[in-house]
Amino acid sequence: MVDLQEIYWSSEKPEQFHMITRQVHEIVEKSPIKQGIVLVVTAHTTTGIIVNEGLPCVETDIGETLTRLVPLEADYAHAHFLPSYGATGNNSTGHIKSLLCGNHCVFPVVDGKVVCGSAQDIYIVELDGPQTRKVYVEVMGE
Amino acid sequence: MIIDMHIHPVFYESICQDEKELEFRKNTFGVFKQSPYDFDEVFREMDYAGVDRAAMLPLDLTTTEGGFVVTNEQVQSIVEAHPQRFIGFASVDPRREDALEVLEDAFGRLQLKGLKLNPAKQHFFPDEDFMKPIYEKCIAHNKPILFHAGLSWEPNAVTEYAHPLKFERIAMQYPQLRICLAHFAWPFVREMVMLMIKYPNVYTDTSVLYLDSPEESIRRLFTVDMGPLWMDRALYRQVMFGSNGPRFRQFKLLRALEKIPMREYAREGIYYKNALRFLGEEDV
Repeated sequence: MVDLQEIYWSSEKPEQFHMITRQVHEIVEKSPIKQGIVLVVTAHTTTGIIVNEGLPCVETDIGETLTRLVPLEADYAHAHFLPSYGATGNNSTGHIKSLLCGNHCVFPVVDGKVVCGSAQDIYIVELDGPQTRKVYVEVMGE
Repeated sequence: MIIDMHIHPVFYESICQDEKELEFRKNTFGVFKQSPYDFDEVFREMDYAGVDRAAMLPLDLTTTEGGFVVTNEQVQSIVEAHPQRFIGFASVDPRREDALEVLEDAFGRLQLKGLKLNPAKQHFFPDEDFMKPIYEKCIAHNKPILFHAGLSWEPNAVTEYAHPLKFERIAMQYPQLRICLAHFAWPFVREMVMLMIKYPNVYTDTSVLYLDSPEESIRRLFTVDMGPLWMDRALYRQVMFGSNGPRFRQFKLLRALEKIPMREYAREGIYYKNALRFLGEEDV
C-alpha cells in the first residue's frame, strides 16, 4: 500500500533551513500503513532534504560549509539567458548545493511510527529562495 | 526606498484565472516553465529585496497578435488591491483606430501613471508620424512613456524597431516628454549613454542580465561598457532600478548593484529618486 501526502512551505530568503520533522511524523502516524518505510522527497532542483541535529549552530555550520564549497561568484556555465525558460538562470549555487544535500531521506516505519534517532531532525533546505516549495511524503508498506 | 520600474505581472495569481489567456501570455511574452503565484510570494520576494514599490507593465498587441500580455484593467485591479506596493502603467497598440480613446480611458478612469510601448513587439518605429498624437496625449496628461529598447527576447520582436537611435527625434521634438528606454537599450549601451548625455528627458533602467551572472553583468555594464565614474559624473539623474521580473530576479540585480562603487547621490537616484521624477510624483 502507498500513502502519498504533500507538505508546502514558503521560504523568505535565498537560503534557509526549515524543519519538517513534526509534519513527517504526523503524516506517518495518521497513515493507515503501520509497517514499512517513509520517503521524504523534494519536488525541486534547488532545494535539499537533509537529516541532521536540529540546532541553529549546526545549521550555520552546514550553510557556511556549503557556501565555502560552492561560492556565489565562480565561473558557472549556467549563468545566461535560457530560451527554454525565457528567463535567466543564475542559480548554479542552488543546483550544486542541492546535489550535495540530496533530494530525499528514508526512515523505517514500525507500528505506525517513524523509527529514528533522538537527534535526527528532517529539514527542507531552501537554496534559491524566496519561493513556495513542495515536499512529497510517501509512506509505503502494509 | 527602492522602486522597481520594470515588472511584468504575467503570473500574478489574481489575473491568471483564464487558462487560455495565460497560455497566450506565456507564448507571446516568451516565458515558460513558470506558474501563477500569489501576492504573499510576490511580497516576500519584494520584502527580501527591500523593494517598496514596483511598476507593472502591460502590453496591448491587438493588431499584431490579437490579444494582450496583461490588460490595462488587470493592472488597475492589482493596483486597487495593493495601492502601497504597485504603480500601474497602461499600454496601447498604437495602430488601433481607437488608440487615443484607450489612452484617455487609461489615464482618466483607470488612473494609470504612465504608458508602456514595445516598438519591437508592436512593430513600429518610434519616430513615425502616426505616433505623434500618442506622445502629445501623454504630454497633455503629464504621463511618462517607458519603451522597450534594445534586444527583445520575445518571439516576433524585431530589434531594429527598438534601436536607441530611433528614439532621438522624439527626445528632441518633445523635451517635456519623459521617456525611458528600458534595459539600457542593451547591447547598444554607448548609444543609450549618448542620448542621456544629450537629452535630460531620456531615462533608462538597470534590467540587463542576458549573459553572465548578475554580478558579472552589472559590473560589466557599470565599469566596462560605461566608465566607472559615468554615473557619478553625468548619468545620476537618469538611470532607474528595473528588474524585468519574472525574467530576472530583483534581489539578485540589487545584490550586484550594491557591489558597484558609486557616490550616495547616484545610488539614491538609481534606487528611487529618478523613478519619482520620471513618474512626475516629486521633483527630487
